[in-house]
Amino acid sequence: MKNCISKPINRVDAPAKISGKAKYIGDIHFENQLFAKTVRSARAKAKIVSIKTPTLPDDYYIIDKNDIPGINRMRTVVSDHPIFAEDEVNYIGQPILLVVGPEREKIYEIVSQIKIKYKDEAAIYNLEEAEVKKAVFTEYSYSKGEPKATFQHAERIIEDEYRTGRQEHIYLEPQGITGDYKDGCMYIYGSLQCPFYIEGAIQDVLGWDSDRIRIIQSTTGGAFGGKEEFPSLMACQVAVASIKTKRPVKMIYDRDEDIICSTKRHPSIVRYKAGLNKNNEVVALDIDIKFDAGAYSELSPVVLQRGMFSATGVYNFPNLKVRGRNFMTNNVPSGAFRGFGAPQTIFSTEMLMHNIAVKLGTNPLDYKIRHLLKRGYPTCTSGKIRDEVKLPEIIEKVEKMSWYRRKIGKHKKFKGVGLSLFLHGCGFTGKGEATIKGKIILKKNGDTVTLKVSSVEMGQGAETCLRKIVAHTLSLPMKKVICETIDTGLIPNSGPTVASRTIMIVGGLLRQASLELKDRWNDANEIEISKTYKHPDFLSWDDDKFEGDAYPTYSWGTNVAEIEIDPVTYEIDVKKITAVYDVGVPIDEKTLEGQIQGGIVQGIGWATIEVMNSPKGKLTQHNLTDYKIPTSMDVPEIECEFIENPYEFGPFGAKCAGELPFVGAPPAVAAAVSNAMSVPIRNIPITPEYLMELDKHED
Amino acid sequence: MVDGFRPADLQEALEFRARHPSIPIAGGTDLMVQKARGFGLKPDFNKPLLFIGHLRKLRQISVRDGNIHIGAGVLLSELIINDKISEALKMAVRQMASPPSRNLATIGGNICNASPAGDTLPYLYAVDAKLILKSVSSERIIHIGKFITDPKQNTLEHDELLTEIIIPNKIFNVSYYKKVGQRKGMSLTKASFQGLADIKNSNVLDIRIAFGSVAPIIVRSREIEASIIGKPVSEINAAVPEILKKYATLIRPIDDARSSAAYRKRVSLRLLEDFLSKLS
Repeated sequence: MKNCISKPINRVDAPAKISGKAKYIGDIHFENQLFAKTVRSARAKAKIVSIKTPTLPDDYYIIDKNDIPGINRMRTVVSDHPIFAEDEVNYIGQPILLVVGPEREKIYEIVSQIKIKYKDEAAIYNLEEAEVKKAVFTEYSYSKGEPKATFQHAERIIEDEYRTGRQEHIYLEPQGITGDYKDGCMYIYGSLQCPFYIEGAIQDVLGWDSDRIRIIQSTTGGAFGGKEEFPSLMACQVAVASIKTKRPVKMIYDRDEDIICSTKRHPSIVRYKAGLNKNNEVVALDIDIKFDAGAYSELSPVVLQRGMFSATGVYNFPNLKVRGRNFMTNNVPSGAFRGFGAPQTIFSTEMLMHNIAVKLGTNPLDYKIRHLLKRGYPTCTSGKIRDEVKLPEIIEKVEKMSWYRRKIGKHKKFKGVGLSLFLHGCGFTGKGEATIKGKIILKKNGDTVTLKVSSVEMGQGAETCLRKIVAHTLSLPMKKVICETIDTGLIPNSGPTVASRTIMIVGGLLRQASLELKDRWNDANEIEISKTYKHPDFLSWDDDKFEGDAYPTYSWGTNVAEIEIDPVTYEIDVKKITAVYDVGVPIDEKTLEGQIQGGIVQGIGWATIEVMNSPKGKLTQHNLTDYKIPTSMDVPEIECEFIENPYEFGPFGAKCAGELPFVGAPPAVAAAVSNAMSVPIRNIPITPEYLMELDKHED
Repeated sequence: MVDGFRPADLQEALEFRARHPSIPIAGGTDLMVQKARGFGLKPDFNKPLLFIGHLRKLRQISVRDGNIHIGAGVLLSELIINDKISEALKMAVRQMASPPSRNLATIGGNICNASPAGDTLPYLYAVDAKLILKSVSSERIIHIGKFITDPKQNTLEHDELLTEIIIPNKIFNVSYYKKVGQRKGMSLTKASFQGLADIKNSNVLDIRIAFGSVAPIIVRSREIEASIIGKPVSEINAAVPEILKKYATLIRPIDDARSSAAYRKRVSLRLLEDFLSKLS
């Protein structure tokens, strides 16, 4: 039976966006506004010897490190990225100063006259070099069972290595922020995901209390994690500029500038040593994860943690050793991107399992089934799988929809079918939710209810779904439930819009508050209810040992990819993706399908065509001519179904859903290519160039 | 100094060309990208623009003496729907850019841009297309291979405009085209291949072979084509290794952001091999 909350409704943000009425930061004119252009490092690693600037005309300014009243670092997990470079630069594109003024043409002229002298230093360009030079930002490890002893007695040991590439978000709207210093307060407007992250960053840079800082979101044209930490950097820059010029300062990137300097998905290398027992099951696994964090650490430690805690995928490996390292390179910093470290390790582990199965001559699905997690099993970090694991139902359903087993049995060269199984930990990693303690407010005024949260609409459908949760609980029409403007002066901190936490955590709080409001509905004309997140008592987490429940619960899924390869050109044509997910209960099936289709297509892009190399610290593909993401022409047929599995603490039983669809597509596509070409696939993106090399011995 | 001029007709356009150094612009889908400087800034044109996209005389497709004359200002999207245009050319044009770009971009622009990745070029080289270049006082007709000299270089004089493209009256009963891009739409060509042949009574009466994106200019060799013409198709198979070897010396691709030289070369030869295998 379909849950009635899941029945699709129209997206509340759609009319303004479709009609063009929605105002993005580039559309908003601020009286007396000035524009800002960033002067960036042209070197991967160097000391700045001198900066020669021209005489500035009236009304033009240069803003640099000397203008920062507080701390010259962007506040995030590791606050190591300078707002403006000091005496050194560590990547090409690192901001050094701003030129600010009323006319863009003049600004560009001034920029072209600024001469920076560098003294180059030895740079680190990739993971291999970083490992040799021991340039490690962060190193973590955890283990479970008796890996050492189990390896000693293993019947067979298989070692393998997997690689994934850099990926750029390509949100439709490039980054843009305006800072307006007015009446002793700082107002920041822009395209952003995490208003309170920016508030904190501004506090550090200005040395101010939060009551003088307002962060206001403008309509945001996509983010995918790319607007999680990066807007903080721009916001701090324009804030300082606005104080110096006493005018609003607007900074909007072109696509090319955005690509050059914004964060990317971490390139990865994952090495495995798998110990097999006499039944050929993996009983011990040693996983060594390496992420290229780029020039600054920023929030990479948490990306690495999610990568490490997702590295066993949907499987139970009783004896486990996991090491994770973030390496420092002189590449553009890596950062948050849909999936947050998990896509790299899930891809690698799925392909390891696939490749072992093929090597053993067994059906990959049958082989995987022998290792599946079940309710009551320990997680990789020795926590507990508390909720029912409906993988058997998920697999049965996808098999009926796709005829996977039948198709893989009828092997034809250049035609392939591949299957992935995957999960995603819901909400923040480790102690994240317990630390942030998200807060929401629900306010009744007559027959209208206003919900106050810091979860933003950025194209994913958050506003529709959060309002729907409240409206549905109170049996109110959608138009009677409204969202407060995302303005840190008006809303409580319910946490950032990240980690697929919006529906489950923030929506969960709204559901609780709505139920309470329902009880008290007739008590008064005006009622305000606030709720603060409380981490369930039964969850335990040791952040030093990485032991316990890394996540409150998990969402699950499977993808079957069917592909064809052009026998002459090796181009991959993804024909169809069949997908089944357990996301608890879908809050809105249409919105969720949007997330699924988008996630799958973004995953296919990462797995096949999105190439972003940085050979000497300089991105080879730095514009949309060279860096290609899938277009509507490249979208395969996508068929998707849900298995309901209500989660006790989620609103209407909902769990996480936003990142999950991204995670599943790459290993399914890679397995299908492997099937079509009879070669093991270990690297993505699987370009025709790479495939031709793999197939060389064939002709 | 004028920033731009929008002539009433071709005559006025040519008169402007004769008097001013200028950059002819029709759809601008290449030029505006090449000259873009950044958000909110004027594009970087060092000469006044001469707008020619609207000139009716350049927008006609007609048949004269059996040859097809295509106006230089004919849109890519118009080529696709015109019944005088061969299926072979339509196939190439359909895979160019995106519908909005095809509604702006012109065939003349694709030729004058002179990119080795220009997607109408392999076909135009293969069919020996000729170009009419006009000035106020002269008109000359030139083979496309003589017009494009290097990447981004052509022999258009400062007072001339490309007005028409002539496709000779010639029927090919086998046509093969493949564009290899990074994705299915809105993609620049990594490598492309155009094969045309006229096969009668199992004999190769004519064959044309052109490669795009794998050398500074489109690769076509009359000499190698001549070595195949006249052969019975049954003998082609045996000749394939020799033919591939000859073309391999002409195909000199580069490594760039979109692909590798090795892939481009190998895939070009594989496409040729595939085309030849379809003749018998």
